[in-house]
Amino acid sequence: MINRPITRRAAVGIAAGVAATAGLGIRPLWAEDKSVTVGLDFSLTGADAESAKRMENGAIMAFDEANAKGGVNGYKVVVTPYDDGTATAGQYDPAQAATNARKMVSNKATVAAIGPQMSGAGKAMAPILSEGNLAIITPSSTNPDITNPKFAAQYKPEGKAIYFRTVATDAYQGPYMANYYADVLHVKTVYLLDDSGAYGVGLADAFQGQAEKKGIKIVGRDRLDPKAADYTTVLTKIKSLNPDAIYYGGVLQAGVKLAKQSYDIVPKMIKGGGDGVYGPEMLTGVAYPANQGWYATVASPHVTEEAKMTQWVKAYKAKFNVDPDDYAVTAFDAATVILAAIKATSEGGKEPTRAAVRDAIQAVKVNTLQGPVSFDANGDLQDKTISVFQIRQDKDITPEDMRNYHYIGAAPSA
Amino acid sequence: MTFSDLLLQQTINGLSLGAMYALLALGFTLVYGILELINFAHFNVFMVGSFIGMWTLQLMGINGQAVVMTGLPLIGVMLVALFVTMLLSGGLGVVIERLSLRPLRNVKGPAAMITTIGVSYILFNIILLTVGADSKNYPNPLPPIQWALGDAVLRLREVLIWVISVLLMLGLHVFVQRSKMGKAMRATAQDPEAARMMGVEVDRVIIIAFFLGSALAGAGGLIFGLYYNFTSFIIGFTAGLRAFTAAVLGGIGNVPGAMLGGVIIGLVESMGGQFIATEWTDVIIFSILVLVLVFRPSGLMGRVAPNKS
Repeated sequence: MINRPITRRAAVGIAAGVAATAGLGIRPLWAEDKSVTVGLDFSLTGADAESAKRMENGAIMAFDEANAKGGVNGYKVVVTPYDDGTATAGQYDPAQAATNARKMVSNKATVAAIGPQMSGAGKAMAPILSEGNLAIITPSSTNPDITNPKFAAQYKPEGKAIYFRTVATDAYQGPYMANYYADVLHVKTVYLLDDSGAYGVGLADAFQGQAEKKGIKIVGRDRLDPKAADYTTVLTKIKSLNPDAIYYGGVLQAGVKLAKQSYDIVPKMIKGGGDGVYGPEMLTGVAYPANQGWYATVASPHVTEEAKMTQWVKAYKAKFNVDPDDYAVTAFDAATVILAAIKATSEGGKEPTRAAVRDAIQAVKVNTLQGPVSFDANGDLQDKTISVFQIRQDKDITPEDMRNYHYIGAAPSA
Repeated sequence: MTFSDLLLQQTINGLSLGAMYALLALGFTLVYGILELINFAHFNVFMVGSFIGMWTLQLMGINGQAVVMTGLPLIGVMLVALFVTMLLSGGLGVVIERLSLRPLRNVKGPAAMITTIGVSYILFNIILLTVGADSKNYPNPLPPIQWALGDAVLRLREVLIWVISVLLMLGLHVFVQRSKMGKAMRATAQDPEAARMMGVEVDRVIIIAFFLGSALAGAGGLIFGLYYNFTSFIIGFTAGLRAFTAAVLGGIGNVPGAMLGGVIIGLVESMGGQFIATEWTDVIIFSILVLVLVFRPSGLMGRVAPNKS
């Protein structure tokens, strides 16, 4: 039966199939269909949804502006949004992120992607994107492992960098904040908490390493279950040890509850975290007075309050009816980088292929809202600014306004 | 903080957790006692209950922690919130029973249990899609009264949790042991067929069991919000699983056992967090569940179930 001859009937079928496939293949050649697809992946379901939406808006805004001007060298950008948050996880879900990455890779029209918001999602997506040679630019995921050459076999098995960032990493965010604790806040003893996620553990580790170098004593460390409701137990333990400060590595699902309960149990202690506690939910979910005094960092320069940004902030607010934060800016910047790469690869009537766009992103030198952006060989941003904020409810603005995060300055780099 | 104060504080924390788990565990036990059904929808009736409580308080003009009340108005507001929350949560339990479980009453096997899992996810997603995924700041009119016991602190809200829980549990205990309907419930639990022959309306008994269990879960949800000042669509699973463990530990189907189990699990959680590490909490609690199921499936206070034919 192996060498079954092709019957006349089967031959007709095959011919029809070939014709149909060929017909499909012709379509993209029509001029009016000239478009490229960019995938977006954010954690739109769950505890970090508010921040996710602001980033997604930022990216969409940049592409809409480009499309309104007639596209890039005649190419319209089609945006395909994905959500890596699931109801079951209540926040980002690495399994969903992997599924999204597979969908992006299998869509031949996708030339690049923006996201993910969360490092835990990034770790799941990177190997799949590497196999598909699809470049992704993250506006907010800061775990350094993903771009660390030490873990190249795990996160970029195909060798080429595909995970780029328009933010710095926790290799800077954690240590710089440790410097800030030691040098500015004069913290001598600290209790570390993390939320058991990839980002949270990594950030707390990075903080711990530098804090110990700076002579801060780590009096203890615990891991919070983000789905549990009760942290009074661990906070009571902290109260009995009476450290100068708490540093929390993690995102908002645990962060909101930690902030609320720590206000009840250790109201006067210095409390801070990374960009995981920089989000509107710290303002609305935790609310005054429990959120007052919390420190947060952002792994990018703080630009939304700069005078040159007024026009942009106004346009963003008019379009989406919500205030942008600094990661809406880094998402816009990620889109700017991708637009520049599409432009560079489609000059002179060439087709911007996925491989060409990746190479163009790697080589990019472009001016963005946060300043000039270029990447090192690993995909990391050359600029490493960590901005420190403190929450203080401003009487003149609404509680959900991100300006309640008062900008203190850039964290010391040593 | 001295060691004894620390121990006292963790006991206070543990008892507050335990009171919440006990309220939830009672719902599992009531339904299991009568139907031999593990009702996983209960997890999220608790969650919906906490939202009902939130909306009720907001309708009474309380927002966040800004409005503080004392004296009679506080008691009035609390009673109204508790009453409305329990009534509507109980109603939700009845609707779940009527729509999704009664049609399966005579189906053998795990169909009913799996249906309750489905219902649980439906409730979960309804709340997620209608109110959103972010944590809500819970309206709380309680004044920040607290008493210092050495370095330990006892807050008004802890006392409130204990008082409400103990009163509700006592009420339930008296109802089950003394009232005619309670007697009918116990009879149905022992042998539904014989109970039916003696003129007990089994369907009614089942509805009452669902109503009471869900009303207690609703009360638990309200208390949860008042204790933590927050609620979210996701609170049902962790609390529900721990309460389920409490019910099994105490002897599922046994009302005083559920209370005892709740308190033990609460204390295990707080002491485990203090002396071992919070990241081991789930491991410890679910090890207890496994050990009880293997070595003493009837629980601490339960007896081995008679074979129902």
